[in-house]
Amino acid sequence: MISPIKIWRNQKKYAQQIGKMGTIISWSLINVPPEGFIDQSPYPIALIKLGDGTNTLAQIVDWETKHLRKNQPVIAVIRRTQEVTSDEVVAYGIKFKPCL
Amino acid sequence: MNISITGCGQTKFGELWDSSPRSLARQAVFTAIADSGINKKSIQAIFVSNMLSGILGMQSHLGALFAEELGIQVPAFTIEGACASGGLAVHSAINSLLSQKYNTVLVLGVEKMTDHSSEFISSALMGAGSNEERLAGATFPALYALLARAHMEKYGTTESQLASVSVKNHFHASLNPLAQFSHPLTLDQVIRSSSVASPLKLLECSPISDGAAAIILQSSSSPKKDSVEIIASEVATDTLGLANRNSLTELQSTKKAAKNAFTSCGITPSDIDIAEVHDCFSIAEILAIEDIGFDKKGEVAKKMEQGKYRIDSDGLVINSSGGLKGCGHPIGATGVKQIIEIYNQLLGQCKDRQVKNAQLGLTHNVGGTGATAVIHILKKHD
Repeated sequence: MISPIKIWRNQKKYAQQIGKMGTIISWSLINVPPEGFIDQSPYPIALIKLGDGTNTLAQIVDWETKHLRKNQPVIAVIRRTQEVTSDEVVAYGIKFKPCL
Repeated sequence: MNISITGCGQTKFGELWDSSPRSLARQAVFTAIADSGINKKSIQAIFVSNMLSGILGMQSHLGALFAEELGIQVPAFTIEGACASGGLAVHSAINSLLSQKYNTVLVLGVEKMTDHSSEFISSALMGAGSNEERLAGATFPALYALLARAHMEKYGTTESQLASVSVKNHFHASLNPLAQFSHPLTLDQVIRSSSVASPLKLLECSPISDGAAAIILQSSSSPKKDSVEIIASEVATDTLGLANRNSLTELQSTKKAAKNAFTSCGITPSDIDIAEVHDCFSIAEILAIEDIGFDKKGEVAKKMEQGKYRIDSDGLVINSSGGLKGCGHPIGATGVKQIIEIYNQLLGQCKDRQVKNAQLGLTHNVGGTGATAVIHILKKHD
């Protein structure tokens, strides 16, 4: 379980990341997920170079096979991060979707 | 440094469903004590290496736990550095000897993983990564897959070349009675195995394992004939996550720890006869051989496919134990097992997988995706 306090603390950081653009440096399609991500599998993760020159590592959503390539442009969006049980707070975080 | 390894003990690695962490520890430690010929009362401190007991078994405080279990009530410490925990525990034990606080210490690496589902283990192992990586749903196979794809792109490394790492290591493991896997693999079997995190396949990933390994270390101003001395022990760190690295085709921590280790004992990579390197995934062994400085960047994968680094090849031998892939990877035990393999090789005790005339050996243990790297260099005294 992710602490609701931690989820609340992280929201401030996510608010500044929404809409940031970047390009994929390297990617992998995960077929064997960790606990909490089983309902999303298979899903890609990617190392992304952002416009400000920093890098971030994130999950790619709304993807097609043609998007899984180096230099693919992507944009930061807010999405539910992982599975929760009925009495947990739903955690949202930053993921990236292809934008071209 | 005047540090001698005077005894070693290792359990079989694998799915050991009828063994508890306590029974694994007893078996490894009492074998090491018998091998060294010392009385257990002469052990002055215990360094326990483990990563996952607190998460998987809700059991922390392993120093005191194993001191009680072994009937050796001395100062005891738990050392955690993800998959480099074993190497870090050996390093810490050496420092305690160099400080002259103790002159005889025990290092015990132990991990019990197969009681749990692979999803839970994947999630628990991500404790070694960054928060950003956990939130992305990343796994360690996926993080190393990012490195593999970058290496393939930059150096033209092929899937077949990567797969040949597993073929070599399973061949070595088939000659090691304590290894998790006793069957050799063909290149075709590795390439056709299911995808875990593209481009890495199931048979390019080290397994989930149980096991324990223990060594006795002693200060020795005058090493005995036919003994093994540790002549270098170095640790380096890098960023916890992959995002802020300057390069995806090298591990800076490995380069730094290796450089410092070679400098401290005055030898070069070409002097090493045999090495146990951290092959948690096929790409990790390629990176290790390059970053330690054994061969040029971009040339290792091709040589691997041509049959270099095997016990039956000329020159440097890599992972004669079977490595993490073939011998198994009980996290906390791995770094200690690497030392044991080199010790046994230098003393000529490896039977079917014995490397001839080995005098100098190296171990390379990595935590996370290179956030921690530990290098030890071992020398035989004739």
